[in-house]
Amino acid sequence: MTQDKILVIDDEKATLKMFRLFLDVYGFDIFTAESGEEGLDVFDREKPDIVLTDIKMPGMDGIEVLQQIKKRSPATEVIVITGHGDMDLAIQALNLDAADFINKPIQRQSLEQGLSRARERLKLAKSRQNEVSVSRQGRALVIEIQGSVSSHSEPYLREAYAKAQEAKVQRIVLHFDPNTSVNGAGIAILTQLVLESEKDGIEIVMAGLSENFRKVFGIVGLTRMIQIFDSLDQACA
Amino acid sequence: MKPYARISLKNKIFASILAVILIISVTIALLARWILISGLTKELELRGIAVAHSIAERGGGFVLDKNYSELLSLIFEEARLRERQHMINYIYVLDRSEKVLSHTFTVPFPGPLSTANPVPEGKMNSVRLVAVGAQTSYDIAVSMNEGLYRIGTVHVGLSKEHIDKLVSKLRFMFLGFISAVIIIIFYVSHRISRYITSPISRLTNISDELSRGNFDVHLDLGEDLDWAVTNCPAYKDTNMPCWHFDEQGRKSLKSKGKTGQVCATCLFYRKREGDEVIQLADSFMSMVWSIRLYRKRLQESEMKYRSLFDSGPDPIFVVDCNTDRILDANPRAEELYEYSKGELLGVSFMVLGHDQVRECLNSLNEAQTNSGCVYYPKVLHYKKGERPFYVNMHACPLSYGGTHAMIVAVTDITEMMEKDAQLVQAAKMKTLGEMSAGIAHEINQPLNAIKMGSEYLNLLIEQNRQVTETQIRDMATEISQQVDRATDIINNLRAFGKKSGLVMERVDMNEPIRGVLSIIGRQFSIQRITIRLELGEGLPYIKGHNNRLQQVFFNLLNNARDAIQEKMENEPGMWGDILVRTYTQDGRVFASFADNGPGIADSVRNKIFEPFFTTKQTGKGMGLGLAITYGIVRDYGGIITIDSQPGQGTTFILSFPSVESHQALEHNASRVDENPAQPSEIS
Repeated sequence: MTQDKILVIDDEKATLKMFRLFLDVYGFDIFTAESGEEGLDVFDREKPDIVLTDIKMPGMDGIEVLQQIKKRSPATEVIVITGHGDMDLAIQALNLDAADFINKPIQRQSLEQGLSRARERLKLAKSRQNEVSVSRQGRALVIEIQGSVSSHSEPYLREAYAKAQEAKVQRIVLHFDPNTSVNGAGIAILTQLVLESEKDGIEIVMAGLSENFRKVFGIVGLTRMIQIFDSLDQACA
Repeated sequence: MKPYARISLKNKIFASILAVILIISVTIALLARWILISGLTKELELRGIAVAHSIAERGGGFVLDKNYSELLSLIFEEARLRERQHMINYIYVLDRSEKVLSHTFTVPFPGPLSTANPVPEGKMNSVRLVAVGAQTSYDIAVSMNEGLYRIGTVHVGLSKEHIDKLVSKLRFMFLGFISAVIIIIFYVSHRISRYITSPISRLTNISDELSRGNFDVHLDLGEDLDWAVTNCPAYKDTNMPCWHFDEQGRKSLKSKGKTGQVCATCLFYRKREGDEVIQLADSFMSMVWSIRLYRKRLQESEMKYRSLFDSGPDPIFVVDCNTDRILDANPRAEELYEYSKGELLGVSFMVLGHDQVRECLNSLNEAQTNSGCVYYPKVLHYKKGERPFYVNMHACPLSYGGTHAMIVAVTDITEMMEKDAQLVQAAKMKTLGEMSAGIAHEINQPLNAIKMGSEYLNLLIEQNRQVTETQIRDMATEISQQVDRATDIINNLRAFGKKSGLVMERVDMNEPIRGVLSIIGRQFSIQRITIRLELGEGLPYIKGHNNRLQQVFFNLLNNARDAIQEKMENEPGMWGDILVRTYTQDGRVFASFADNGPGIADSVRNKIFEPFFTTKQTGKGMGLGLAITYGIVRDYGGIITIDSQPGQGTTFILSFPSVESHQALEHNASRVDENPAQPSEIS
C-alpha cells in the first residue's frame, strides 16, 4: 500500500520538526514547507492528499493557502492549524471548505483523530459510498451522515428530511460518523433544516459529532437550538 | 555762625527785627542830635549876634557922645528884654582901647574878660566860649563902627547853661520817643515770631509723635476740625483708593481701565483761605491723614499676605540666597516636611532639596538681571528622615529683611505623580491587552513544539518503539530551547507590566526596542508588516524606564501598524514596512520609526498628541496612546518630531538627552515646554 502523501506548512521550524517525527510514526509520506508560497510550490510538485497548514504565517497565510489549494484540487483534505480557541478563524477556514481544524498546542489525540478522519473521508470519497442513509429506530428517525457535509450534501439531507416528514416521527436524529467533516455550506444547510423542523413540529437532535464540530456548532449557535448527544442510543431514548 | 544756627527760629526773627530797629534808631538819633544841637546853637549864636549888632547900631552915638549912662540903660534894656534875660548872661561895651565903657554885671567887671574874645581886624564878629565866675558863656563880640572906624566892641554873653538845657530837653524827648518805638517793635516782633514759629514747633512735635508711631496724637492744628478717621470711606474700604492723595493708586487703577469709587468731596482734605502758615497746617494734616490711611492699609496688607503665607495650601519658604538658610516657612511646610518650625528655621535648604537647590540658586543668581522666577518641575525633595518625594518648585527672587533672598513655593506632586503612574500603568495594561493576541501566538509556538515533543515521546513509549539516545538528546535540547524562548517572552512581559519606580534608571535605547519586538515582531510579520532594524552600536545611555520606553515604542509601532492596515484595505496585497533606527547626534540619542502607511494630514498633525484624539475607527483606539507617549517622552526630557508626507508614510523621531548631557538639560528644565507640538497636559 502506498503511503498517503502529506504536506505540512508552518513557519515554525521546531513545529515542523515535531510534525515530521509524528507523521513518520503514523506512516505518511511527509513534505514540509516553511511558508505559504513554498507550500504551494511543494503542493504543485507532489500533489499530496492531505495538507496541514498553520493559519497565522508571515506572508501568505493559511487561509490563502487553503483557497489556492481548493482552487487547484477541491478534493484535497486541508486541515488548518489554529491558535488555541481561535474559533473565528476555524469557522472562516471551514467556510472555505477546509476539512477540519486542529488547535495549537497540538495534542496527539486530536492530531491522530484529525488525520484518521481525513484518511477515512479520502477512502469514502474513493469508494463514492452514499453519504446519507435513513433508518427508523424506535420513535425516532435516524439520518446517518458520513464523509463531508457540504453544498453537495443538500439534496441527500433534504430527501432524508422529507422521508422523516412522511413517517410523521416526532424526532429526527442526525447521526454523524466520527469522521464526518462539516464545512460552512454544510452548517448553513443544517441550520436551515433545524429552523424548518421547528416550524414543522419535529425535534432534531444530533449524535456522534466529533469534539471539534461540537465546538463549531456551539459557536454558530446550533447547540442552542438542538440537543446533542454523545451516542445514538442516548439520542433515541 | 554756629551759635546763630542753634538759636530757635523764633529768637532769630525776634533778635533780627530788634537789631535792625535798634541800629536804625541809633543812627537816626545820632543824626538828629547832631543836626538839632548844631542848628540850635547856631541859631542862638545868630540871635546873640543880632542883639550885639542892634546894640552896636544904637549905642554908637552914645559912645561918640560919651553918654555912658544912656549906653548902660540901653544894654540893660536889651539884656532884660523878656525871655532874653534867661538867655543873656551879660552885655558889655568896650572902647577902641579895650576899656570897659559899661556892663550889665551886678558885680565888679571881671578883668580878664575884656581881652578874652577880641574881634580880629577886618572881621565883624567873633564867638568864643569863656568862663565867667562859675558860669560858662558863649561870648559874642561884634565891633562898633562909625563910618570906616571902629569905635568900640559890643560883647554879649550867651548862657551856655540855657543852651544846654534846651539841648538836653530836646535830647530827652527824642530818646524817649525812640525808646517807645523800640518797645513797641520789641512787642510786635515778639508776637510775629511767635505767630510764625509756634505752628511750626507744634508741627514738629506732631511729626515727632508720628515718627514714633503714635498715630493717635491729638492734631491741634485746625481749630474746629472733627477729625474722626473712621468717617472716611477709604479708611473702611481698603479697595477704595483715596483719589485725593493717592496719585499712584489712581494711576494703577486707570491703567487697569477702572475708575473706582470716588468721593465727591473729601471729608478731610481742605484748603482754608489764609496765610502760608495756615496752608502749611492744612497740607500737613492732609499728609498725616494720608499716612494714617496708608499705614492702616499697609498693616492690613501685611496681615493679608501673612495670612496667605500662613494658610497657603502649599509649603512656602523664604531662603537666604547667600547662605541657603531658611529664614521663614509656613505651617504647611512643617506639615509636609515633618519638621517643626524651630527645626526648619536656620537650617540650610539643601537639607530639604539637596543638589537641586544649588542649581536653583545659581540660576536665580544668573537670572537676577532678568528679575525672573525659575520653575523646576518634578524635583526630588526629602522629608524628615531623608524620605524622598516629588515636588514642583517655583523660586522667585525677593528682598527680605535687607538680604538677597528667594521665596520658594513648593507643590507636593506625589499624588499627581502616583496618579500619573497609575494612568501610565493603566495604559500599559491596555497595551498589554492589545498585545495579547501577539503574545498568545508567540507563546503558543514554543508550547506547541514542547507539547508535540512530549506527545511524540509518549507515542514512542506506547508503541514500544526503540528510542535512540540521539533522538532523546535532540528532543530534550529542542524542548529546553523552546522553554527558554517562552521564558524570555514571559520575562519581557513581566518587565513590561511592572510598575516603574519614581527614580529613573540608565537605559540603552536598543533594549526596549528589542524587547517590544520580541513580543510583537512575529505578530507584525503575520500581518504582512516587516520591521527592519538599524540599531546603532554603542549608543550612550539615556535616563528613563525600560518598560515605559517599551510602551512608547509599542504605541508608535502599533499606530504604524494600524495606519498601514488602513492603507492595506485600499491596496490589498501591499506589504507594510517599518524602519526602526537608533543613532546618536549632538549629545542626544535618537530613535526613528518610519512607516509606509498613509501618512498624517497636516490638519491633524498638531492634534495627535491630544488626549482622546484618535483617527482610528470607533472602538479601535481610545486616543490616549500618543498622549501618554508624549507624557513619558517629555518626562525623560525627550522631544518628538513628526515628519509625514501624506500618502508616503510617517516618521516619528524621538530624541532623548544622553546621560552625559542630562545634567545640562535639567538646568533648562523650565524651558522644555517650548516643544513644537503643544499638547495639553495629561498629567
